[in-house]
Amino acid sequence: MARRAALDGWSRLVAWLKVLLPLLALGLLSTLFLVSNRVDPEDAIPYAQVDVEERLREPRMTAPTYAGTTRDGAALELRADETRPATADGQGQTAKKVNARLSTPDGAVTDLAADAAVMAPDGNEVTLTGNVTFNSSTGYDLVTEALTARLDETAIRSTTPVRATGPVGQITADRMELTQRGDGGAGYLLVFNGSVKLVFQPAK
Amino acid sequence: QTAINLTGLRQDTSLPVEVAADSLAVDQTDGQATFSGNVKVTQGDMTIQAGEARVEYTPDGKGIDRILLSGRVLFASPTDAAEADEAVYTIDTGVVVLTGDVLLTQGSTTISGGRLVYDLDQGTGSMEGRVQTVFTPGKAQP
Repeated sequence: MARRAALDGWSRLVAWLKVLLPLLALGLLSTLFLVSNRVDPEDAIPYAQVDVEERLREPRMTAPTYAGTTRDGAALELRADETRPATADGQGQTAKKVNARLSTPDGAVTDLAADAAVMAPDGNEVTLTGNVTFNSSTGYDLVTEALTARLDETAIRSTTPVRATGPVGQITADRMELTQRGDGGAGYLLVFNGSVKLVFQPAK
Repeated sequence: QTAINLTGLRQDTSLPVEVAADSLAVDQTDGQATFSGNVKVTQGDMTIQAGEARVEYTPDGKGIDRILLSGRVLFASPTDAAEADEAVYTIDTGVVVLTGDVLLTQGSTTISGGRLVYDLDQGTGSMEGRVQTVFTPGKAQP
């Protein structure tokens, strides 16, 4: 009789377990799927917000830089916000919000900045337009509208009137040119041409 | 040594100096500025015309120390005029030194000589070297 009672207890236990264990399993499974926070597959990969069609139609580079040295050993570095390749009709590469740095072997550093730039089709001259500023470490800061800089040798010249502030006074001129010294000596000449006017206020 | 009174050319040397020319070349290594092509320096009502002008800076590089003019130099003011081959104008002292057959005309009299040194502030000058002058006697002063 006692053995049957033990058996009854055991089968009652098994009967209860048959109910409890699946419930427990169900609870565990739900924490995996039912309760866990939703994963949104959409924002898993952040997409770039660039208009793809426009990019295809007008291929361009953002934040390009150009670096090179001229024949006379001056390092030229151009940086822009955005540049577009040369178009079929022969117009050279264009760039927006350009700034350039020319460090000549004599130690002088010239910083140029402009709104836009166009590279000549033959590739060895770039024309900066749109309130061009030219700041030289020798103390000359110029403002003009258009400036062309050769890429193969140090020769920067402006084709529009120039207003400059020198270490000594205000200078205005029709054109300006930064070139190597003609007589073969080392060093560079900043030349202003065409009705040049310098105004200097004595210190007294 | 003849002392000359140059009131006509006396003027304040602290007025702004204006230099106009056809071209200005600035040497980037030593900052040497050279004006060329009918240079005209004006300060107040005095004008200096020359073929070429070289500017020398003050040691600190912030101001003009001297202007050296060459090619036939002509100083002019409303009343007097001086002419020479070369001239050196030191701005802060207001002293102008003209050299090379100087010709000074004051109203109707003309004085020529080798070298003329005069001070713009005081309006006094001294002519040296073979001074010759021409008076026109008997003419009624206008």
